[in-house]
Amino acid sequence: MTSLLIHGGRIIDPDSGTDATGDLLIRNGCIEAISTDSPLPRDADSSIDADGCLVTPGLVDPHVHLREPSNGQPHRETIAIGSRAALAGGFTTICSMPNTQPPPDTADRIKDLVSRGKMANAARVYPIACGTMNRAGEEATDVQKLIDAGAQGISDDGDGVACDAVMDTILQRVAAADTCFMQHCQDPTMTLGAAMNAGALAVRMGLGEWPPAAETSMIERDVLLNGKHGARYHAQHLSCSKSVDVIRKARAEGQTVTAEASPHHLLLTEEACEGYNTIAKVNPPLRTSQDIDAIKEGIAQGVITILATDQAPHPPQAKETDFASAAFGMVSIECALPLYKRALVDEGVIDWSRLIAMMTCEPANLVGLPEAGRLRMGGPADVTLIDPDLEWTIDSSTFLTTGRNCPFDGWSVSGRALASIIAGEVRWALPGARMEQTAIAGH
Amino acid sequence: MLPIARGEAPATDDLSGKTVATLFFENSTRTRLSFTMAGKRVGAEVLDLNASTSSSSKGETLLDTALNVQAMGVDGLVLRCSASGGPQLVAKGVRIPVINAGDGRHEHPTQGLLDALALQEHFGRKSLDGLTIAIVGDVGSSRVARSNAQSLTALGADVVLTGPPSLVPEAMAELVTSTENTRGSVRVEHELDGILGSIDAIMMLRVQFERHGGLGIPSDYVEQFGLSVDRAARLRDGAPVLHPGPINRGTEIDPEVADGPRSLILDQVTCGVAVRMAILKGLLSRNS
Repeated sequence: MTSLLIHGGRIIDPDSGTDATGDLLIRNGCIEAISTDSPLPRDADSSIDADGCLVTPGLVDPHVHLREPSNGQPHRETIAIGSRAALAGGFTTICSMPNTQPPPDTADRIKDLVSRGKMANAARVYPIACGTMNRAGEEATDVQKLIDAGAQGISDDGDGVACDAVMDTILQRVAAADTCFMQHCQDPTMTLGAAMNAGALAVRMGLGEWPPAAETSMIERDVLLNGKHGARYHAQHLSCSKSVDVIRKARAEGQTVTAEASPHHLLLTEEACEGYNTIAKVNPPLRTSQDIDAIKEGIAQGVITILATDQAPHPPQAKETDFASAAFGMVSIECALPLYKRALVDEGVIDWSRLIAMMTCEPANLVGLPEAGRLRMGGPADVTLIDPDLEWTIDSSTFLTTGRNCPFDGWSVSGRALASIIAGEVRWALPGARMEQTAIAGH
Repeated sequence: MLPIARGEAPATDDLSGKTVATLFFENSTRTRLSFTMAGKRVGAEVLDLNASTSSSSKGETLLDTALNVQAMGVDGLVLRCSASGGPQLVAKGVRIPVINAGDGRHEHPTQGLLDALALQEHFGRKSLDGLTIAIVGDVGSSRVARSNAQSLTALGADVVLTGPPSLVPEAMAELVTSTENTRGSVRVEHELDGILGSIDAIMMLRVQFERHGGLGIPSDYVEQFGLSVDRAARLRDGAPVLHPGPINRGTEIDPEVADGPRSLILDQVTCGVAVRMAILKGLLSRNS
C-alpha cells in the first residue's frame, strides 16, 4: 500500500481539538500529515476530494451484538456480516457483546473471537468478555486472563450482575486489570415478566411493567461498590432521568464512571409500542419524553459522554410474535450517525465536534484503545468521511446486517457516512458516492 | 337475542352454512361453552380446537395455527390466549373475523359487553348515566376489569376500581383515554368499606392466586375486600352484585351473597350468550 490524500474536508479530531478545513495524508496505512493552514502537495498515489465533507477519526461503537457463536440459536448474523454493517454506518471499530452461545468466559473463547474478527477483515472487532461464568451472575470470571487473551472490556451485557458480592469481586478484578466494566444496569429481580416501560400505557396494554428504578438502583449500587475499587465503570444505554442524576452525582464526586446513550432512547418513547409493535421492544425499554430530555441534558452537560447503538439483530420470527414473547432489541448501526445528528446536533444539544468526540475518542478511551478514535500523526489511519447534509430515507431492506428490526425504517434523515477507511484502505464506500472509485482502486 | 338466549324464542338460522372455530390457548369452561351455544343459536356450526393437543404444543406460532384453521375454510375465529395483544397479531394476519375471547391481562371485550347488557337489563335503561359501579379485587391482573372500564364508561357510568395498592396500581385510573365516546370516569380506591354506601352496583373479581404465586395479595385480603353478608347489607337498596366467574365461594364473595337476591351472576351468563350471538351474527353475516 502507498499513499492517499484526502483534501479539502472539514477535519474534526476532538482528541487534538482540531476542527478546521484541511488536508490529510495517509502513507502505508498511517497518518503522515494533517494540514489545516496550507494545502498538502497533490502527489499522492490516490486522492479523495472531501470538499463539503467531515473527515473524522473512524467511528467507534462500544456496544454491538454480532451473535457469533450462536450454537443452537437461530441467529443469522455473524461477525463478518455485523462488522461489515458497522463499516456501512461509518464505524471502523466495534466492541462485540458477550451474550453469545457459548459466551466468551474463557481465554480460549476470547482468542477465537479475536481471530474471527480479524478474518472478517471489515471493522476492527474487539470482544468484550463475560463478567461471570456463563453469564450466570454467580461466579466472577478470571478478568486478567480474559484481558490478556485480547478482551477489551468486561460485561454480562443482556443481564445486569445482580448479586452484590459477585459485583464487588468483578469490580476489584476489573480495577486490577486496568480495564472497564460495562453494566447492563437492570436489576433482574425487578423486571420479571416485564416487557415495556412501567406506566399507564403498559397497564392499558396489559403488559408487564418495567420500572425505571430497576436501572437506577443498580447504578447506585455499583457506584457505591466501585467507590472502593476505582475501576472504569460504565453504565450502558441509559433510559431514564433518575439514572442521569446518579451518574452526574458520581462524576461530580470524582468517581471513574461513564455512561452511554443509544439512538432509540434519544428519539423514541414508549408510545412506539402501541399496537403491540414488537420492533419497539428493547431492554431497557423506551420510556417517556421527560426521560429523553434528561438524557439530552446529561449529554449537553458532559454527564453522558459516549454514544452506542446496542445494535441487536434478530431473525424475523423473533419479532413476529406477541409482544411479551418477542425478543428485545433493535438495529440502527447503519443509520446511527444521522439519528444522533437529528437528536443532538439539529436540536442544538451539542455541536458536530462534540458529537464526533462521543463517537470516537470517548468510547476508545473507555475500552482502552489509545490508537482508535483519533487522528494521531504516525498512528493507524482509521478515518470516516461523512456528508453531514446528505438527505436519504432509511430503508432497512438495504441494510448489510441480517436484522430488519429497525424502528427507524422509513425515516427521512440527513447526514451519512460516505466511506470507512481502515489503516489507509477504503474498506467501504457508499455506492454511488465519489469515494467508491477509490474503494475499488484500493482493493 | 336475549329471548333466544333465555330459551323464550326459537333459535335462528342466520348463519347457516357458516363455521366458527374456537381456539382456546388458556383453560375456559364458561366463555368457550357460551360461544358454542351462541354460535348454535344463530345457526352456525362451531368447532372447538383443543389448543393443548394442537400443534401449538409442538412449537407452532399462534398465527400459523390461525392461518391453518382459516385455510380449512372456517369463517370466523374465537381466540383466547395468555399473550396480551395475541388476537390483534392474528387479526392482522388472517382475512376472517377474529373475536377476542380474552388476551392475557389486556382485554375480554365480550365480557365487558355482557356485563353492560346485564346492567342495562337490571336498571331497565340503555344508558348507565349517573351510576357508580365498583369493580373490586385483583384489578391489575384483570382483563375483565379493563374491558368493563371501557364498556361501562362508554355507557355513562363512573367506574371505581377498588382493591389493595399492590393489586390496583394508581395508573389504572388512566385506563380509558378516549374521550370521544366516553361519558363516565374511572378512579381508583384502596378501601372497600368507605364506598359501599355510595355505589349503585358492585362487581367482584376472582382472586387470581395462580397469576401471583400469592405475591402481592395481602394476608388480610378477604377480611378487607371480601363481599361478606355483612358488607352486602351495607350496599344501597337494590344495588346488584356481579361476578364474571368462576367464583370462589367464601373468598371474594360469600355464598349467601352469590346466591342472594342481589346477585346478577347467572343473568350475566345468559347475557353472555346473547351478546356473543349478536357479535357472531354481526361479523359473520357481513363476511359472506
